[in-house]
Amino acid sequence: MTERVLARIADTSIDVAEVEDFVAGREHGAVVTFRGVVRDHDGGETVTALDYQGHPDAEEFLRRVCTAVAAESGLPVAAVHRVGALTIGDVALAASVAAPHRAEAFAACQALVDRIKVEVPIWKKQHYDGRASDWVGL
Amino acid sequence: MADVLVRYFAAAADAAGREEETVSLPEGATTGDLKRLLVERYGDEMARVFRSGSLLVDGRATRDEHVPLGARADVLPPFAGG
Repeated sequence: MTERVLARIADTSIDVAEVEDFVAGREHGAVVTFRGVVRDHDGGETVTALDYQGHPDAEEFLRRVCTAVAAESGLPVAAVHRVGALTIGDVALAASVAAPHRAEAFAACQALVDRIKVEVPIWKKQHYDGRASDWVGL
Repeated sequence: MADVLVRYFAAAADAAGREEETVSLPEGATTGDLKRLLVERYGDEMARVFRSGSLLVDGRATRDEHVPLGARADVLPPFAGG
């Protein structure tokens, strides 16, 4: 079976509706979407902005993860990850899975996001209020 | 000796003060050999990158120190997407 997969690294705003529409279908009663959103705090400090940087092959890694989750679940999978300069409230990641019923869609979307965080080479520089910026995760 | 193109990303580029360079290593050198050379050259900041970072060799990110090097290796700090 050919997996139904959308995987993209974007340097402009993510169109979340497009990500959801990609997975939706007449047979699917559940569409679960995760939005990773830039928040204004981390570890007790005020965050003012973020820069995301992707490896040149990040999209290929993202596609591998999406394809694996689609193959394991048998469900359509879509994920778009933003790179570049983001501000508070911007969507950094939109990840959607559709399924006939909600339990499979929730489970597959959770697995998808967990794997994206671990397997896709993307880095995040956090800018703070009142001190120097740093790379997250070191 | 064999030349390896090393590319640095994010915190690794900050630690090395550059985005890429060519390093010479003995024939048959491994990921562990490259890691030791880079930590010796760039000190604590690079050691910090490798604490939970990886090397990308032949399209695979690895923390294994025994992978034979090819023509290129990318230094990948810990991922922080999502």
